Amino acid sequence: MVDKTLYLLVSVPFVVAIINIVLPKVLRSILNLLGSVFLLYLSIRLLLGEPSPIKILEWEVFSMDKLTGFALIFIQILSIIILIYALKGLDKKLSGKFCILYPFTVACCNATVLSSNAVSLVIFWGLSGLVLYLFGLLGTGPDAQRTAKKTFILIGGSDALLLTGLIILFHESFKVNIFLSPTALDNAAAVLAFIMLLIAALAKAGGFPFHTWLPEYSKEAPVESVALLPAALDKILGIYLLARMVMSIFNMETNIGMQLFFITLGAVTVIIAVMMAMIQHNGRKLLGYHAVSQVGYMIMGVGSGNPIAMAGGLFHMINNTIYKSNLFLSLGSVEKQVGSSELSEMGGLGKKMPFTFTMALVGALSISGIPPFNGFFSKWMIYTGILEKAKGLPGGYQLWILLCLVLAVFGSALTLASFLKFIHAIFLGKRPAKLDQIKESSANHWIATGILAVSCLVLGLFAVQLIFRPFMVGMITKFNTDTLTSLSDMYSPTLVILLMLVSFGIGLVVYLLTRKVRYDDNYLGGMPALEKFRVVGTEFYNEIRNMSPLRSLYNAAEEKWCDIYELASKFTVSFSKLLQKAHPGQLQLYLLYIVIGVLLSIWIIR
Amino acid sequence: MKVEYLFYLLVFPGLLFTGVVGLLVGWVDRKVSARFQYRVGPPLFQNFNDFFKLLGKETMIVKQSVHWLFIAAPLVAFAALVLLSTMIGSALFYQQNIGGGLIVVMYLLMVSSVMIILGGSSTGNVYSSIGAAREIKLLLADELVFIFVCLIPIIKSGYQIDLVQIAGIQESGGAFIRATSGIIGFILGILCIQAKMTLPPFHIPEAETELVEGPLMEYSGPPLAFWKLNHFMMWVVYPFLLVLLYLGGFKSEGLGILWFVLKYLAIVVVMIIIKNTNPRIRIDTALHFFWKILTPLGIIALILSVLGA
Repeated sequence: MVDKTLYLLVSVPFVVAIINIVLPKVLRSILNLLGSVFLLYLSIRLLLGEPSPIKILEWEVFSMDKLTGFALIFIQILSIIILIYALKGLDKKLSGKFCILYPFTVACCNATVLSSNAVSLVIFWGLSGLVLYLFGLLGTGPDAQRTAKKTFILIGGSDALLLTGLIILFHESFKVNIFLSPTALDNAAAVLAFIMLLIAALAKAGGFPFHTWLPEYSKEAPVESVALLPAALDKILGIYLLARMVMSIFNMETNIGMQLFFITLGAVTVIIAVMMAMIQHNGRKLLGYHAVSQVGYMIMGVGSGNPIAMAGGLFHMINNTIYKSNLFLSLGSVEKQVGSSELSEMGGLGKKMPFTFTMALVGALSISGIPPFNGFFSKWMIYTGILEKAKGLPGGYQLWILLCLVLAVFGSALTLASFLKFIHAIFLGKRPAKLDQIKESSANHWIATGILAVSCLVLGLFAVQLIFRPFMVGMITKFNTDTLTSLSDMYSPTLVILLMLVSFGIGLVVYLLTRKVRYDDNYLGGMPALEKFRVVGTEFYNEIRNMSPLRSLYNAAEEKWCDIYELASKFTVSFSKLLQKAHPGQLQLYLLYIVIGVLLSIWIIR
Repeated sequence: MKVEYLFYLLVFPGLLFTGVVGLLVGWVDRKVSARFQYRVGPPLFQNFNDFFKLLGKETMIVKQSVHWLFIAAPLVAFAALVLLSTMIGSALFYQQNIGGGLIVVMYLLMVSSVMIILGGSSTGNVYSSIGAAREIKLLLADELVFIFVCLIPIIKSGYQIDLVQIAGIQESGGAFIRATSGIIGFILGILCIQAKMTLPPFHIPEAETELVEGPLMEYSGPPLAFWKLNHFMMWVVYPFLLVLLYLGGFKSEGLGILWFVLKYLAIVVVMIIIKNTNPRIRIDTALHFFWKILTPLGIIALILSVLGA
């Protein structure tokens, strides 16, 4: 029986997607939800048992180990939560297509992480890119089609590289099961394959410099799909592939150069994306850039080669999916009420939408790494691991790693700053008069974000019991129960929260015993609190934006000098112009081309 | 949780000790500042009187504000500072690691600023919002340098992030301030503290003359009392952290206690002198100062500490 259950993880959502085509609209969401709950049950059962791999013609196609189980369970959990959010409030025009694409997406993601075979990995990886494109097409904004195309070209291009990389690997080692024995990075072909796989992983997860699709996609696509794919499942897939590369496809344990490369790439991703996020005026784009910036921490952790940092990187991947979906969904709730995702259109909604505000605040504090939320725990592990890594290295390497670490830690302060701006612009400050009639969003919205917010706290407090002991021990080499004990000695989140609660309680008692409350209007030195005295928050960081040399860097970034897609399209256009010039329609010239071609062919054959 | 942790938290070195010492050092600050300005200055227990008087006053809550956040903000900041004083104090006086090491402390130190920003801007007051924006920028300015301030002792102690170990290594091998990188780190540390406590010349967010206390503008009664108490507790938490990181911590035998008090007072006096001799700078000047002048110094100190100097 167990033998075939791996199939179910892929076939059940596929079947749900097909049934949804013919099912009445009312029942689609319910069927989706039931399917997802069943998948979660199945994933847990499979993780507890030891399912044997599935083979087609003697080739292993799907198999399951701890890393797979880890990714699978969180794919199901997130898909359930986002489904709850989508139960009500989904744009009616989209809901039909959405309910078909949704289970299809889950099926592709499940199949991708289950694949131990290069061929099935490429197929399902590609399909998961396709659904991203299809979701993008559902966007209603003026730029939705263009953005979906850009996403598809970047992601599709990276899929082609993944395919090429795997072919090279196959050519090198003649194995289809890519996880069997690690390939050493000691020859040019292996390095080339490594780079190609890395680009595929980075493009999917949204790592620098292949991230440029992500912020624009976040702005244009329906918010539920943004919370599902770029914020959650694509991160799991991208970092899953990266973890596989580091742990089982390539042999990198002693490759210090490569580890330094990953740490540097991570730090650069963190800082560049967060600097861009700070100056955004659109809430969705701001979150999109943060979705990129957080990948930096994961790359740093997973690629560093230190067991604590690796566990931290994988933990950060899960944390990011949780708080980032929470933030996107909260922003979505606000957007559905206000009708815009521009920060300047909002303000002072904390009182009108108290639940949404609380959940978003928890998400913002988690992503900024405020203890004792989950974001802090994973960042702390990454920093601790990287410091441990630096310890045994020669001075130059040490210095390099430390500077990267400074960037990463500072990146988290910048994240905090940009989220304080986000929270201020949407929920705090003075509310514009036109938003006086706004109401709290429907219950399913804040139940979904509420579950995510509670998870931020629960994972922050009980990560050892919920994540590390069941998943990481035995999955990452040298990460064992002793490591867990030393981690708990170094940082105890439950003690931190308990002590904080005690002192908060004392403060609260003093306040309650002494308070005499009066309610009044704002005091502006006798002036009436007019609309013109409203501080939006979008201009918070103008001093930083206009500081030299950041000003010229920001200008260049806004002109898309760092956008690999724009650069490539500029190059393609100029190259095709060159070819156009070579085609003037003169017969003599074409004859000359033929002669040159023949001569070249003879020279090559010779 | 062990029962003695409650004693650490509530009595020594946590709430009671830090609160009382903070209010007393606040008096030193006010007295010395008064002497700088040829005034007599307040009596010894003035800060206590102020605190208790504020507790008896009315709490004015802005109707349009997010009420729970407005009230919770000073209390969360208070809880974070009590916890910090317990963590740093226990490492100094009991050689015990409570809750976490230096990285946890670094992140917890941000909580106070975050709460000032959230609580202040929850009122919708224009002055509070402008003040909050400046508070964030100031946090960004000093945080970059503060990372170097924290990293140097980590490197010098052989990559320890445990506060007890950092203090212990200095006890056996001499205080880190004896090294060149230690001197630079310590100076940077004092300037960072000055900014983190928004003391002149970095009182940009509160800027009494133009922003009328900025984020704290709408606060009154007990919540304001807590903000004031928080500020006084910082007079203990930050200098204690610097003593632990650079000046060799605390020894209980011999003249250890006297030495510790002297080290602490030295830092406090330097801060008071800086406070009284500098006018307020603009926020862009502060960013420029921290990012373009102090950060390169931090990098130099980092290089020196990796080289062992």
